[in-house]
Amino acid sequence: MTDRMTYGITKPNQRPGGSLPPEPIDIIRTKARSRRVRINVGGLVHEVLWRTLDRLPRTRLGRLRDCNTHESLMEICDDYSLNDNEYFFDRHPGAFSSILNFYRTGKLHMMEEMCALSFGQELDYWGIDEIYLESCCQARYHQKKEQMNEELRREAESLREKDGVEEEHGCCPDKRQKLWDLLEKPSSSLAAKFLAVLSITFIILSTIALSLNTLPELQVVDEFGQFNDNPQLAHVEAVCIAWFTMEYILRCLSSPNKWNFIKGPLNVIDLLAILPYYVTIFLTESNKSVLQFQNVRRVVQIFRIMRILRILKLARHSTGLQSLGFTLRRSYNELGLLILFLAMGIMIFSSLVFFAEKDEDATKFTSIPASFWWATITMTTVGYGDIYPQTLLGKIVGGLCCIAGVLVIALPIPIIVNNFSEFYREQKRQEKAIKRREALERAKRNGSIVSMNMKDAFARSMELMDVVVEKGEEKHPIDNHLSPSRWNFQKHGTNEGSPHTLHPRYQEVAQLGSPIRLSPSRASPQHLNARRLEDVYNKMTTSSSLTLKVGAAASHEQAKRLEEELEMTIVTGSSRVPQKERPSTDIKNTASPDSFTSCIAEFTEGEKGSLLPNIGGQRRPPPLDLSQISAIDARGPENVQPSSIIKEGLYEFVSTQPDSGGSRGGSGGTTSQGEDNQAFDMTVESIRSSIKSNNPQKAKALKVNFIESQEETKVSTPSSAQGRLPQGTAEDTVSRSPQSLSASLVEAKSPFGLLMSPVSPGSLGGETAAKGSEGEGQPSSLSNTGRNHMDRVASSASPLSPKPSTPNCSQEVAGVEDGGGEGEGGGGEVTAGSVGVENHIILDGTLSPPCETSM
Amino acid sequence: MWTVPKPRYANGYNLCFEDVTEIIVNIGGVRVVLHSDVLNRHPESRLAELVNCSSRNNDAISSLCDEYDPCKREFYFDRDPDAFKCIIDVYYFDEIHIKRGICPICFIKEMEFWKIEQSYLDECCKSYLSEKEEELAEIANKVKLILDDLDGDQSVHRSERCQKFLWKLMEKPESSLPARVIAIASFLFILVSSVVMCIGTIPELQVEDAEGNLVEHPTLDAIETACIGWFTVEYLLRLASSPNKIRFMLSFMNIIDFMAIIPFYVVLTLTSLGTAMMELANVQQAVQALRIMRIARIFKLARHSSGLQTLTYALKRSFKELGLLLMYMGVGIFVFSALGYTMEQSHPETLFKSIPQSFWWAIITMTTVGYGDIYPKTTLGKCNAAISFLCGVIAIALPIHPIINNFVIFYNKQKVLETAAKHELELMELQSDEGATIKTKSKSDAAGAYGELHDPVSQ
Repeated sequence: MTDRMTYGITKPNQRPGGSLPPEPIDIIRTKARSRRVRINVGGLVHEVLWRTLDRLPRTRLGRLRDCNTHESLMEICDDYSLNDNEYFFDRHPGAFSSILNFYRTGKLHMMEEMCALSFGQELDYWGIDEIYLESCCQARYHQKKEQMNEELRREAESLREKDGVEEEHGCCPDKRQKLWDLLEKPSSSLAAKFLAVLSITFIILSTIALSLNTLPELQVVDEFGQFNDNPQLAHVEAVCIAWFTMEYILRCLSSPNKWNFIKGPLNVIDLLAILPYYVTIFLTESNKSVLQFQNVRRVVQIFRIMRILRILKLARHSTGLQSLGFTLRRSYNELGLLILFLAMGIMIFSSLVFFAEKDEDATKFTSIPASFWWATITMTTVGYGDIYPQTLLGKIVGGLCCIAGVLVIALPIPIIVNNFSEFYREQKRQEKAIKRREALERAKRNGSIVSMNMKDAFARSMELMDVVVEKGEEKHPIDNHLSPSRWNFQKHGTNEGSPHTLHPRYQEVAQLGSPIRLSPSRASPQHLNARRLEDVYNKMTTSSSLTLKVGAAASHEQAKRLEEELEMTIVTGSSRVPQKERPSTDIKNTASPDSFTSCIAEFTEGEKGSLLPNIGGQRRPPPLDLSQISAIDARGPENVQPSSIIKEGLYEFVSTQPDSGGSRGGSGGTTSQGEDNQAFDMTVESIRSSIKSNNPQKAKALKVNFIESQEETKVSTPSSAQGRLPQGTAEDTVSRSPQSLSASLVEAKSPFGLLMSPVSPGSLGGETAAKGSEGEGQPSSLSNTGRNHMDRVASSASPLSPKPSTPNCSQEVAGVEDGGGEGEGGGGEVTAGSVGVENHIILDGTLSPPCETSM
Repeated sequence: MWTVPKPRYANGYNLCFEDVTEIIVNIGGVRVVLHSDVLNRHPESRLAELVNCSSRNNDAISSLCDEYDPCKREFYFDRDPDAFKCIIDVYYFDEIHIKRGICPICFIKEMEFWKIEQSYLDECCKSYLSEKEEELAEIANKVKLILDDLDGDQSVHRSERCQKFLWKLMEKPESSLPARVIAIASFLFILVSSVVMCIGTIPELQVEDAEGNLVEHPTLDAIETACIGWFTVEYLLRLASSPNKIRFMLSFMNIIDFMAIIPFYVVLTLTSLGTAMMELANVQQAVQALRIMRIARIFKLARHSSGLQTLTYALKRSFKELGLLLMYMGVGIFVFSALGYTMEQSHPETLFKSIPQSFWWAIITMTTVGYGDIYPKTTLGKCNAAISFLCGVIAIALPIHPIINNFVIFYNKQKVLETAAKHELELMELQSDEGATIKTKSKSDAAGAYGELHDPVSQ
């Protein structure tokens, strides 16, 4: 954490008065002072010549040289210290050494132990095209990447399938779903397992019956003198077929997509196993007395042979058989090779042996095609002995043929085997993964996971709180503003500070508040990788789990009760408004988390009427989103623009009514401030009380949070906020998306994220606002390292206002206020409608500039 | 082993300098403190030079290192610290091992930079290095081939251009659509002629000629002639378009082609002229013998299948293992046929009439084919048969494994080479697109930059 410390110290130096970024001339001077540059990547310090970096001027490191302003620097690196000539990047250090070597030697290699995907992400971050990867690593890299893409696609497909199941509007879809689970997923329940075993038994029984049927002792002679099936065995057969038919029909009925079902290879096999029986019955019944009885018999015989196909039904119950099929399909190239080799060998040896043997008396090698059989039998070393060479020459050819056969067959088989084993392993792994995911889902539904991890998460969050508070005291500029990613960073970083003496510090921080320039917060959307979004998605889809999580965040108690409780506390808090007299600032700060929680809690209610477009958007992103986002992430910062666009697209529902919401929020903010405060007070109190009752620790944490944000409110200025006004809509989208992000965080790590959540949306919104005021409309903020942007925003905002100011806090406050005010307006009725309104207003609050002045 | 050099160098060089000095080197951010006596064990190396001249002038220092900090007495090198950690071993242990994860080619360049001879590289890593170098060379070859195909039409003469065009048409099926069509047609002709050759031997399809001999059906004969015509035209065109005629004639695939064609013409000449010179029976025998050579045309398929080429390559490479296989089999055959023969002598109706005859039995048993035309009848003989069968399995399985391994390696390598070559080409395209705007973007460019870096240092 030493580097952090140094930054903390250097920053005030750079910006006297706490707000001024270093002048470009300073930066240039520092850069000119040394030919070297220190690059700190994830704690590992590298030293490199500027000249080396200049070799790839378009990459991230290459651009570092040309950046002479604070803003542009912050865009490229996560932090820097001019005194030390050091630039900090919060990335994987292992990958970076090979990337730096690329600058030095021009050869890009991949660390053996590194995952190809994460390496690809690193490459994207540093702005190096993967095409420069050396040939030796290229194959491995692409193989892995393809595999991963395939997996992602498959996952997306399965998700879509799930959606399809949900969207199906047939009769009693839940029952159908149950039936589907029962028949298709043997692991889902005991009954399903039993059914699977029963099915296997029937298959085996029917195959045994089929073979026994052909024993002459068991056959009976019918009136035509023909052998016919044994009646007992025929009964067995009928029962088996009946079972198969029933199974097939039930499956077909319960399947969500009929056409896909019929197309499926396993189901085709099923159908083929059943059909011959019915065709046989049909033919024999319809043509009983007709003259072409013999023909019918022949057809019937053919169909009887097709009954053998039912043994393939076992494939449904065996992973091994399935992977065999897949392997054969995948390695058809090698199979072709095998057959080609064999065919050539057969050709050559059969013609050779033909020429050697054809003059022999009574030879069986009458022609080349006739000796094909011999060559085949010899090359496969079966050797029936019905035909064998007799001349010396023929025997020599035969001997060579044996050896060549062994060789030729052995050669391509290892490749096929390799394919098989790979596939088999993959299949096993996937089965496990699916099981795990199902278990996870079940646990989520029960709410057990959240409560399980609560204690740990809580302890951690408390610890981090301490750290931050301490930091805020010692080097104020940095950490007033808390955001989830920041927390993560600190958590991962070395231990700095220990949790001691919390309360006095809070006070101090609170007092320090106003003079201290607000430092950039480090909310980084960069950390919002695909996985997290996926998580969000998963959680959002199950609305119940969402509420549960909120509930869990507040207490360890059971989910349902919690939900009720939360609502209750809110209601009671609102009724108690006038009694509470508190400093408004305090309240506001807490209010933001508070309102946030409340709005989340109300997601569930809002969901019914789908009043809230944004919630709908969050809860059900189109299934493609997952892959899209992961793609964005993989592409990284170089192509910021598309990614942000896509993200906006993700939340495009969110921005459906920006104008009306904005105006409303603005009006609300300006007119009813006192009311707002009170409302806030109330909500804060309610939440706090609820929290306190459940968990004193938590309350403490909340306190810390609001004390810190208090400074922000004091610091805030109208000027920056007004600058923000014009781009209401654009901002709106942005400021909402962070909120959804923070929502995801709330769910991801319950107590911890909850504390953070109020901060990050505000800061992000502020960031865009500041940018707008600057006049640079880059939409890059979201996907890029949010951290840099935050810093930059803070600094860029500061020149606008005489006082040190951060737009984000003001905005946040506004949002909080509005939310509170609206909540008050909603009054005692905590219904879905009012909840929806509240939620909107929180979002809209970003647009109302005047509120913060009042604060 | 590292104790040996110490006295040698210590005595040799340490006397020259007043005392043991320490220097601090900073390699890409990693600081290392080194003692001059240790460094002087390899006086020709860069670090030793640095120690020796450290007290002298700045020019010498700056030529040796990238930067010198006089107050800290720190020498800065803009190099890979990981590789340096390996290279520094040479001063202590007199040998270098390449760490896993470092590309050996890069490592060699690092060694060059530190002016340490390649011979200090340990044997185990040398093989790794040579493997990599070979692979790179192969890739380069392949790329060069592809590039040659891509650009070609610079030749001035019209005839040359024609020749090149023809060559591409005949030899590079992937170069254009007509070339592909020709390749497919050629493939079909091979198949048809092979099938015709086989079918022609079926007695029912043969017709009797004037002398009562069975000869091939006239239609089949016509097809055969057409195929041979095609092959001849193909061969001649190839020959005409090839830049180097003699090398063309001697290459393996073309010899096969030639062998596939020539029997037909020989038979033709023999039947037309032969009766005048030789007896009819002799001519017929010669024709029969030459007919066998038609089989060679099946090998022509190898031209169209990379799998077959891999097979031949693998077999060529594993010549030793094949010899081993044959030797094992030969020894086994001798031993077991002799044993079988002696043991079966006690039986009155033995099928083992002589040792050479029982060779056949031994082969058939050892390869687990087992026709059943000869089989032992006595108990001892049966025991012998069982043992010979087991030994046969082992004798075949043991040498086959390396052959298979070779095959798999080549097969995979083929694939890797293909992707690598493709990638290399992409890279080149990218380069040509971006052109001069980017200084360093690829290996070759980087090599240039490497030289650039080298220049100020080595001056």
